[in-house]
Amino acid sequence: MTGMEVLVIGGGPAGVSAALEMARGGLNVTLCEQGPRLGGAIHRQPDDPARRLRVPRAQRRRWRTLAEALSMSPVEILCRHMFAGVEGSGAVLLEDRASGRIVTRRPAALVLALGGVERVTPVPGWQLPGVVTVGGLQVMMKSTGRAPEGDILIAGSGPLLLAVAAQLTALGKAPVAVLERSTGPLSLRAVAGLIRAPAYLWEAAGYLSRLIRAGIRLQRGASVRSIAPAGNRLSVTIVDNIGLERRLVVDRVALHDGLLPNGNGTAAAPAGPFTVLAGDCREVLGGVAAIADGRLAGQAVLAKLGLAGSDSAGSAATLQHERRTQSALNTLFDYSGGDAAQLPDDTVICRCEGRTLGQLRALLAADDRVSAREIKLNGRFAMGACQGRFCAEWVAAYVASQRDGQPPQVAEIVGSRWPVKPVSVSAFVERHPSSPSE
Amino acid sequence: MSAAHFLSRAGWQVTVFDSGVVASGATGSADGAVSVASKKPGPLMTLAVAAVRFYERLAETGVLADEFMSRSTFMVAAQPDELDVLESQSAQLEAADVPVRLLKGRALAETVGAAAPAALAAVEVQGEGHAVGYRVVERLRRLGGFTIRRNCRILGLHHAGGRVDGVVTEQGIESFDAVLLAAGLGSMAFLAGPDLIRPRKGQLIVTDRADRDAPRFPGPLMSCRYLVSKGSHPAGNVTEARSLGLVIDPLRTGQFLIGGSREDRDDKDVADADVIASLLRDAVALSPSLAHLRVIRVFAGVRAATRDGMPIVGRVGGADNVWVATGFEGDGICLGPLMGHLCQQMICGQQPEHDISALDAGRFGLTLAEAA
Amino acid sequence: MTSAGQTFLFDGMAIPFASNETIAMALDRAGIRTFGSGQGSSAGRYFCGIGACQACIVSVDGTRMEACLTPARKGLQVARIASVLP
Repeated sequence: MTGMEVLVIGGGPAGVSAALEMARGGLNVTLCEQGPRLGGAIHRQPDDPARRLRVPRAQRRRWRTLAEALSMSPVEILCRHMFAGVEGSGAVLLEDRASGRIVTRRPAALVLALGGVERVTPVPGWQLPGVVTVGGLQVMMKSTGRAPEGDILIAGSGPLLLAVAAQLTALGKAPVAVLERSTGPLSLRAVAGLIRAPAYLWEAAGYLSRLIRAGIRLQRGASVRSIAPAGNRLSVTIVDNIGLERRLVVDRVALHDGLLPNGNGTAAAPAGPFTVLAGDCREVLGGVAAIADGRLAGQAVLAKLGLAGSDSAGSAATLQHERRTQSALNTLFDYSGGDAAQLPDDTVICRCEGRTLGQLRALLAADDRVSAREIKLNGRFAMGACQGRFCAEWVAAYVASQRDGQPPQVAEIVGSRWPVKPVSVSAFVERHPSSPSE
Repeated sequence: MSAAHFLSRAGWQVTVFDSGVVASGATGSADGAVSVASKKPGPLMTLAVAAVRFYERLAETGVLADEFMSRSTFMVAAQPDELDVLESQSAQLEAADVPVRLLKGRALAETVGAAAPAALAAVEVQGEGHAVGYRVVERLRRLGGFTIRRNCRILGLHHAGGRVDGVVTEQGIESFDAVLLAAGLGSMAFLAGPDLIRPRKGQLIVTDRADRDAPRFPGPLMSCRYLVSKGSHPAGNVTEARSLGLVIDPLRTGQFLIGGSREDRDDKDVADADVIASLLRDAVALSPSLAHLRVIRVFAGVRAATRDGMPIVGRVGGADNVWVATGFEGDGICLGPLMGHLCQQMICGQQPEHDISALDAGRFGLTLAEAA
Repeated sequence: MTSAGQTFLFDGMAIPFASNETIAMALDRAGIRTFGSGQGSSAGRYFCGIGACQACIVSVDGTRMEACLTPARKGLQVARIASVLP
């Protein structure tokens, strides 16, 4: 041990892999996870080990390898510790949910492995109870090992739609419909890219055959136009690939329009420790790449602190391979979220503050070219509790589509202030006595 | 922006140059108190009274309709040694014709008792208000009549024939008949007089919304320690590098704004956990119900503080068509609209409708910088 | 395991939960989809499942936290948040 302390935020594959790499290099590693268990979104562990959602074997094996190595390593694990950001004097703030206190650390380096966030483009009614993200639906299944109650509609775009539809079907609860926005034909480039990654094809083939056996049709070119309450259920207006509308009444609607890096809290803090991003919060490349990227992040920290790490060539090659596969995969899908011009003014854009598209349009209506900061302050977009995670990217893209010239940056709308997430007032009041005093 | 508004209404063609975007300085990071309660007794307090009346006028005439909310401020003493500060500030306010009401016993319990059970006494300062700085700026922008040039830095003033006839920007020289420097700390780039205005950092906290069954806050609670911190009330060493004073402001959104610090630093983009934790500890000690809320944002801003704690508003020595309005420290939201109006009157050659001789640039012998 | 007798209180109503289950999962299984009046104009609810969207905030023994990240525990006092709306 060199005695130098490093901190890893995020207990998914990237974070665990980075922690292991740095522990092997002789650093004193602490791994923080916001949830009660490690695993991240992809390797989420079941509440009851006897009730486990079936996942592809290779995926299960990858996590087992990481978890076993971790259990034999000296890495300190802190679950239910929320990363609150790096404060002005450079200290890393963690909110310990079990003790209800702020914990302050001053590590020699910080690895942020915060994962991705789902992109969900707004439609009227997406803020209603019963509307979830497709990933959120998968979390329910992975945690409980059961299919959620009620009729479920899955819509948006991306491979996750297929995976979750197949998992629901395997649990005996086929979705009422799966709407994939994309109409595009398979391009040669995409096929060539995927052939280099047979694991994905194998996985997708498995999902598709399960859906076909269950008689579930993937409706390409179809999307959700609006969602309205219908008693305790949800009435969904669907538009198909030739523009015909129909209505479906369901209990849950799961939406997903791709994944984005979880960038909140990743902006460099002036006085903070040496910081490296790892995994999907740096670049969304999925679980295999996250392990390689975590290793690279660990190596970057070791190099910075003057310690030797393992060879990085293998990890870099894995990353490159996964990047090619992901970009091939992405050409099959349509993450645009449809035509924003079609959305009515009362569409909620910022769910936290209830801000609507009409209010955004009004802000942009003047001849005077308002800045990103004015859009934030006066529009109150990204001013709410989720700090723009579910609206800032969309607002920036919408503003860019409405006028020429330099588009506003998402970071300008979100800002870079701590706390990265809301922190309870009482946690500050009960701040850990070991924290430096005034 | 206020000066631009009134000048354009007076028939001038006005351009506002901002080196960043509008409301990006202290205006965008302010607490929004339009308050006389905390003002330094003397001319500043008198002007603040006029400034609040001016807000009321702008709200009535529609210029700031819905952007100004009238309310009382409650100065609260929670420690025995704060009672003296409370009494003396209250007396000063009364002397400036500000309606105040001393709250003790049952009256105290009925007004601030639920929000601040630890209060020993309080003074209700009536006829105060609230306006969000960036929203005032946004309203004035929407009313229009002038041009805004964002991200356009003024490199210097342009001189011809012994007088200023325009400004030099990165895009070239532009001609103007009069120049008003209202760039906060940035104003000093054009003026001679080093160290006249210093940055004084402040940190603020915004919580999420209170529950509907939370105790009622009658208005903003200002701890008497805040007055000491601000230097409105001399109490020993006001020159310490960092002082904290507590204001708990119930916002219209249902959220709370908790402030603030005064620190002689200008690292405006960073808030530190020590200051935030201290403020929150004080806030919860005064109002325990706040402990149930969450901090959703903390931010820091920099005020422009002059040597004598008074703003600088008036004509710059050695130039007959250059004016300055800066150094408002924490009082810019309160004084801004009125001062913009008075600047317009001065620039139009009229007598300003309030006596601002105490703010004159001449008291520091302020002149144009040679490079400007 | 949904062992008998394990409940927490949600606005006074006993909600059964399984070991290691989060508050959000237990509420969903109890058929509760609306977790409160939320922060803005939209209701509190389960949405992203990973603590990012802040839509499922509830009061847990007086402290606000994400129902989707918080393990249920016997005897917890969980309450809907009824925020003051602008």
